[in-house]
Amino acid sequence: MATELGHAGSLRRIAINVGAGYVPGINAVVMGAALAAGKMGWELLGIRDGFEGLLHPERYPDGGLVTLSPQLIENLDPAASGILGQSVRIDPFHVRTINEDQMVEEVDMSDHLLKRLQAEKIDGLISIVGGRGLSILYKLHRKGLNAVCIPRSIENDIAATMVSFGFNSALTVTIEMLDKARQSAQSARKIAVVEVLGEQAGWLALQAGIAVCADAVLIPEIPCDLKMLARRLKDKISPRRPYGLVVVAEGAKFINKPQKEEPTSSLKASLSPLATGEASEHVIRRSGQVAQTVATELQLLIAEETYPLVIGPWVRGGTPTAVDRQLGMAYGVGALQALKAGKNGVMISFVPPEMKFIPLAEAINKVRTVPVDSEFIQIARSLGICLGKEL
Amino acid sequence: MTQPVNSSSPAGRVLNIQRYCSHDGPGIRTTVFLKGCSLRCKWCANPESIASKPELSYDPKKCTGKKCGLCLKSPFPEGAFYFVDNNDEHVKVNWQLSMDCDEALTSLCPTGALEMFGKLMTVDQVLDEVEKDSSFYRNTGGGITLSGGECMLQPDFSAALLKGAHERGFNTAVETACNVPWPNIEKVLPHVDTMLHDHKLTIPERHKKWTGVGNERILANFKKSYETFPNTEFIARTPLIPGVNAYEEHIRAVLAFIRPHKNVIDYELLPYHRFGLGKYESLGVVYELDDYKTPSDDLVQRLQAIIDEAFGRSGQKAPGEK
Repeated sequence: MATELGHAGSLRRIAINVGAGYVPGINAVVMGAALAAGKMGWELLGIRDGFEGLLHPERYPDGGLVTLSPQLIENLDPAASGILGQSVRIDPFHVRTINEDQMVEEVDMSDHLLKRLQAEKIDGLISIVGGRGLSILYKLHRKGLNAVCIPRSIENDIAATMVSFGFNSALTVTIEMLDKARQSAQSARKIAVVEVLGEQAGWLALQAGIAVCADAVLIPEIPCDLKMLARRLKDKISPRRPYGLVVVAEGAKFINKPQKEEPTSSLKASLSPLATGEASEHVIRRSGQVAQTVATELQLLIAEETYPLVIGPWVRGGTPTAVDRQLGMAYGVGALQALKAGKNGVMISFVPPEMKFIPLAEAINKVRTVPVDSEFIQIARSLGICLGKEL
Repeated sequence: MTQPVNSSSPAGRVLNIQRYCSHDGPGIRTTVFLKGCSLRCKWCANPESIASKPELSYDPKKCTGKKCGLCLKSPFPEGAFYFVDNNDEHVKVNWQLSMDCDEALTSLCPTGALEMFGKLMTVDQVLDEVEKDSSFYRNTGGGITLSGGECMLQPDFSAALLKGAHERGFNTAVETACNVPWPNIEKVLPHVDTMLHDHKLTIPERHKKWTGVGNERILANFKKSYETFPNTEFIARTPLIPGVNAYEEHIRAVLAFIRPHKNVIDYELLPYHRFGLGKYESLGVVYELDDYKTPSDDLVQRLQAIIDEAFGRSGQKAPGEK
């Protein structure tokens, strides 16, 4: 699909897009890719709002594609919102549309997407996506798309890469917020239970918890015994130190947690199968639910007052840190290097000090969780931070 | 439900047949949930009914994990199921890569953790199942209710089901949002005793925001239904979502729409509930109303009082009470 361009070698038209969810540092990735493309004499196009710029060009004054020329890029603010925008859904296999009968339906537009890329003479796609987007990109790659993935995870839970861009910014904000929460708890003489992001992996909670020397950190990898946690907090709290700080990852799990009885409901009985209530373990967690649970349960077990706080989505915005700006640039450059090296269907992986290219097939279905024997766990224990379970 | 589809009896896509229901029409009823919906209400309590095709569901509580591991190998799609680490008790589902699973594959799951939502059933198969509770219908004035999804999306099947139900002496009801072409409704309504229909939002732009489409055609269909089928009973309903439509202006706008029509015999409020949340997880679908709460009893009673006054009733009904 590459177009030959006389003496300059082969001019390639590469596209870049961004999956759902903002992460600080996205513009740095786009800048890095655009500057590297310019250096190679390649053309880099940005697809607006995920794949929507390609699938629905009529919705955009610029046709849904923006040429990321070095002139445009050099004035781009790395700290501003993403230049390409994002889509709420990025799945071309299930594009929500309204048909001619005014009915909503999801249609498979993956073939149409590939044709549009071909029509635009785009012979490679760089996608900045998270875990779900990674699987979608893998499916597109299996259909023939020349794809390179830049992993994006604010929770740093994508396997095969040590550090996802955006994590450092999220960590920095989380630490700032935890410091404030601790000061607040200190003045109120209460225990603050602060929920942070981390559905499957507890990196953010653990690293931030270590940085502020929290009293306890609860992560999904170590199911927590709330009674034991209560005992440990009781030991730490004294008239001279009448407050506490507990950091809880939103995916924290518990052992021996009493299940609430759900009242029988004729309405529930009238619903279709698998209807559940809030008390079911088989239920989607709400933001703040874990903090609320821990705070309530602790208050029943000890004499101190507790209160829940949720940092959650606050860390998804804001200015990227210096680390994330550098990392973003490096990921952008890495993607172009992969394409130049003829790598197809790979994820860019940062394993310091190297950038590596991992086949997408090896990158999917893996989550970078906190190993229970990791250095961070040992550091936390050495600092006296309770991790919800005895050694 | 496992017998083969008989070609002489029309067939339709059925999600589930739920017995002993008391919220979807008069008396004790059997509700037949059909697959396929033409709206995407963000609060939907039956997300497994939305897609018209059968779709995979996964119940981790039934999964025996590494003791089994069948779904990690062929013939299951590569990468569709996986373990994150050695401590995992249950497999995880890659919803993007598992979409090609069908009934033949899920039937291989020995514990039933993997299942398909929705199967093709004939009118006779459905009615034979519904028939099992016929004594309850006789004693309570109940019968069959078609729900969904949107039952009007399968007009031939729905019409045949309801006609067959009438022939067996059952009362018939449908739950519908009426976002379908008028000919679909025209086919079904002659066989309906009671039509329960949703007035979700009254302002077209807001209706589009929360359900995916505007409500112009829906309102036109409601009006045409009231006028074309004067002997059918209509019950308007509003799924009451705080912050979306749980306010007085909405209730009064619906009342202004329905009260001129004598065959609209009631207006019911359906307070938002969260019983459907677990099903989103079973389907690998994001629930967009994650932080929404159920409306307070006080609010429901205040809005119910407006309805009671409009219908000339002095007493108040408790939320959800018939």
